[in-house]
Amino acid sequence: MYQLSSVDKKFPGVHALKSIDFHIKRGEIVGLVGENGAGKSTLMKVIYGAYQPDGGQILIDGKPVHFANPRQAMKRGIGMVFQEQSLIPNLTVMENIFLGYEAQFTRLGVVNWKAMAAAAKKQLAKVKLEIDPATVTSALSFAQRQLVELAKVLTLEERIEGDLVILLDEPTSVLSEEEVKLLFKLVRELTSRASFIFVSHRMDEVMALSDRIYVMKDGQVMDVVAKADADASAIQHKMVGRHVDREYYREQRQKPYDASRTLFEMRDIVLPGRPHKLDLALHPGEVLCLVGTEGSGREAILRTIYGMLAPVSGRFEMKGQELRNFNPRRSVAMGVGYVPRERKVEGIVSGMNVYENITLSQLGRYSRAGVIDVAREKALARDWIRKLSIKAHSEFADCGNLSGGNQQKVVLSKWRSGGSDIMLLDHPTRGLDIGAKEDVYDMIRDMSDDGVGIVLVADTLEEAIGLSHTIVVLKDGAIRQRFDCRPGAKPSLYDLLHHMI
Amino acid sequence: MKMKLTRENVIRWAPALVLLGLVVLFTAINPAFLSQRNLARIALAATPPMMVALGVTFIIVMGSIDLSMEGAVSLCAVLFCLLFLKLGGSLGAGAWLAIPAILLCGAFFGWLTGMVHVRLQIPSFMASLAMGFVGTGAAVLVTGGDIVRIDDDVFRALLTWRILGFPLMVHIAVLLVLLAWFIQNHTTLGRNFYAVGGGEELAHASGVNVRRVRLAGFALAGVFYAIAAIFQVARLGQAESVTGANLMFIAITSVVVGGVALWGGIGGVLNAVVGVLIVNVIGNGMVVIGLPNYLQDGLLGVLVIVAVVLSTDRRLVSFAK
Amino acid sequence: MTMQRIKPHLPWITLLVLTAMVGVVDPNFLRPANLLSLAGDIVPLFIMALGLTFAIYIGGIDLSVQSMANMITVIASIYLASLGAWVAVLCIAAGFGLGMVSGFLTTRLCVPSFISTLAVGGVCFSIAQWLSGNRALNMDAEQRNAVFGWMIGHTGIVPNELFLAAALLALCLFIERRTILGRVLKAVGAGEPAAKASGIDVGRYKMLAFAISGALAAIAGLLFSVKLSGGAPTIANGFLLPAIVAVLVGGTPLTGGVGGVLNTLIGTLIVAVIRASMLYLGVEATQQQMLFGLVLIGAIALTIDRSKLRTVK
Repeated sequence: MYQLSSVDKKFPGVHALKSIDFHIKRGEIVGLVGENGAGKSTLMKVIYGAYQPDGGQILIDGKPVHFANPRQAMKRGIGMVFQEQSLIPNLTVMENIFLGYEAQFTRLGVVNWKAMAAAAKKQLAKVKLEIDPATVTSALSFAQRQLVELAKVLTLEERIEGDLVILLDEPTSVLSEEEVKLLFKLVRELTSRASFIFVSHRMDEVMALSDRIYVMKDGQVMDVVAKADADASAIQHKMVGRHVDREYYREQRQKPYDASRTLFEMRDIVLPGRPHKLDLALHPGEVLCLVGTEGSGREAILRTIYGMLAPVSGRFEMKGQELRNFNPRRSVAMGVGYVPRERKVEGIVSGMNVYENITLSQLGRYSRAGVIDVAREKALARDWIRKLSIKAHSEFADCGNLSGGNQQKVVLSKWRSGGSDIMLLDHPTRGLDIGAKEDVYDMIRDMSDDGVGIVLVADTLEEAIGLSHTIVVLKDGAIRQRFDCRPGAKPSLYDLLHHMI
Repeated sequence: MKMKLTRENVIRWAPALVLLGLVVLFTAINPAFLSQRNLARIALAATPPMMVALGVTFIIVMGSIDLSMEGAVSLCAVLFCLLFLKLGGSLGAGAWLAIPAILLCGAFFGWLTGMVHVRLQIPSFMASLAMGFVGTGAAVLVTGGDIVRIDDDVFRALLTWRILGFPLMVHIAVLLVLLAWFIQNHTTLGRNFYAVGGGEELAHASGVNVRRVRLAGFALAGVFYAIAAIFQVARLGQAESVTGANLMFIAITSVVVGGVALWGGIGGVLNAVVGVLIVNVIGNGMVVIGLPNYLQDGLLGVLVIVAVVLSTDRRLVSFAK
Repeated sequence: MTMQRIKPHLPWITLLVLTAMVGVVDPNFLRPANLLSLAGDIVPLFIMALGLTFAIYIGGIDLSVQSMANMITVIASIYLASLGAWVAVLCIAAGFGLGMVSGFLTTRLCVPSFISTLAVGGVCFSIAQWLSGNRALNMDAEQRNAVFGWMIGHTGIVPNELFLAAALLALCLFIERRTILGRVLKAVGAGEPAAKASGIDVGRYKMLAFAISGALAAIAGLLFSVKLSGGAPTIANGFLLPAIVAVLVGGTPLTGGVGGVLNTLIGTLIVAVIRASMLYLGVEATQQQMLFGLVLIGAIALTIDRSKLRTVK
């Protein structure tokens, strides 16, 4: 009844959805899986009306429709349960449920709270939640909020003639096992009234709940698997199955690292809000890759090494010195460099030129008594523009106007020129085109050759496998498995996936 | 979780406790503080700032700020006097029309501030600051820097007619507080202020017309500023371009000290009432116990900082500008 | 795109056009002596705007500058007799210290700068009232001339204030262009998260920006009280609006990161020419505030970088 027919969506530089065909039947639960960046979230946004497709058609009961915004999609029975809480915490449950649709309970702008509470009670009953609708939302548990979200979407039932399609985006990520079971039971019951599109990282859950599963990769639907034929490893194959080229990741340049020396060592480190103890060490020349799904704790580890997050307990030694206080200034002084994921926000300062960006982390070194030696700065910048062949008209170029790859090179020169020998790379190739990615891979090998230790959170699993000496798989904040990645003896994608999900 | 609960409770009850403590303190030092005459004096002094505070509360609940009240009140006060005189100079003789006219005028001024903020996408603190200057400037322009007097016994009854020892305007102010409370808790508009303050993007995604809510909020605040202007005129018997002077500091301080969070979504009309009372009790009490009242601004400055610091969850704010 | 390219040049083009316009109406306006005395009159405002530039440059605001200057006129008037020239040190230290307090509140306690500086302004006002007993004070004319006479005399036809202004401008320009402080402030204004991620203790430098703002407001207050030979808790009222206008019209946007102290020079001159033109064009002085309010709205709307504001609150 709901159908997408060869839907296309392009963004500048990215072809996010390539001729997607998708349909969902009345009362069906459809799973949607794919790696980060496969196009799942774009597809969902098209479905609930936040994006408009550039090509193809959306059909409801065979008739083409067009949504300019989510509200119009809601009018046709399409609702979204967001992964990130979309309830306003300081409002009551009933206000959240009817936010934007209060008119039915108001006369001359005055709200009839009794009527709204009664109606909210009815909605909450649908999701079997017995709470006072006048409760302030911030007082609820995560699981309860998730159910209130669902109840909010289910108000479509009364408003809409016809069928409902409800999208569930990672609904289980904050729920306990028991709560997940309850949610699934509820969703199954509700299929008498609505169809569901279920998106999750957790393969087992998708397979348990869905009638059919769409597997996406690189903006395309790779396969549609019926529940009866679903096989976890086969689906994973399709999710990640990409041509992997050893040349591409410069594997021939991977040399053994110097295991006799240690750059930093974490022993029994416990991070705030996580129960697990972490042990990790980095050696000169080593590329250590942290692998896991979003929220598995990769970022927290990077942030700890960079000094933005202080561990609760455990011993953290850097270059033979035990660390007691944690702040970025101290880390930078000890030779830690950080290439953040949000390049344009945390990586470069747009509005400042190349030399200003390069020396930002080491102003002390290019100044005397607080006065900057600009001539030396410029010389340094020219040097690195040449070394890394940064495409900028001169050291005066505004970094905000450089291409993504060149911005990344500026960030790398910032740290390398300062002599950082512990580099933290968070998705260093995100949003770069292939040529620029290869440049980054080359730079990673160069750094290894220079004895720099690198902690990498890669954009894809292949990248992680291709680049690293050591892979550490994380799940739910704990280290699940370590892999040694000598060239020729690298683990496969499925070895990693097996421990990730 | 437990920590958070106590924190929230502290924030919720601190203003009321502070008020109580101040009253006890001043009474202990000088029992005359609690005399009916003195209470009436406090209530009277608190009335115009109370109206301004009510207005700005709606704005702060939305997570914005309005600093235009001095200009708005001055302009409204001046226009009110001029209009009042033009319409006969007596409430009985048709000059009452000046009251609804000036309320509309206030709404328009507020709406204009809202337009500058929403349409030109200028942060509200600056948009309203500039509009405040424009308002004061307009008041100077209209009066040419002169003072406009009103001598109408019927109108001045707002000040002179006492019921239970309190001037009439205090009773009207109480009714207006109830009205503001009703708007806040029982109208879609009032609740939408909270939705915008609690999560603007989420409210927008749910189909709340955020721009319209903002404009309505500024217009509503403007109405309350106009009421403050009328009370101010009734109290002083005159208006000039500085009639609204110092109201910005007192009103903002009151609302924040009363427990309305600058980040939006938390607190409301009752907090503003408590805040205004705290500020005025301090001002009055310092005089009663024999301290120079000009220490008030400094003390309020300190209080406002304490209130903001207490109500800010620094884990959620990465940096302030 | 063309608008983007013209934008940085708008301030000085505006200045030239305005000056030319007034010059056409009354050629006397363009006489060097007239221009110089005009410039000399605006120096206290300029110094205040110079300091304010630092607060705005990092994306904040300092609403305490006017109260700060008020307080300093009182302090200068009272302590000139006992401290002599050292009163200047006291004034600047007071401004620097109170500015530091604003900065501390903003950076360490996460109080938005418009509130923290408003509150510090309230404190300044109280101190001024308390010290002065809420009266206007006079300096001893002889002592004033002996100690600070050099500030307000003339060298040839050039008012001495201009030398002071030039020296402070040079100092600020040096801080902005050549020191770590200036560089970090630029980075904070243009992209605070990136500055933080580079391992810089951003807070320390932001505090200094507010402290500089306070110190320069204090110098402005000192000069003002020397000019008037006295002080009072409200004597400098009416400075805040033109000071903010001067910074913003000069091309340092409310969102910070671009512009700087040279822009403020141009902005202040624009303010001066607008004021003068009102006189020459026969516009009443009573309309000045309203006009500046409108100019302010226009200047913000033109310069603000909306890409830095996720939601406009």
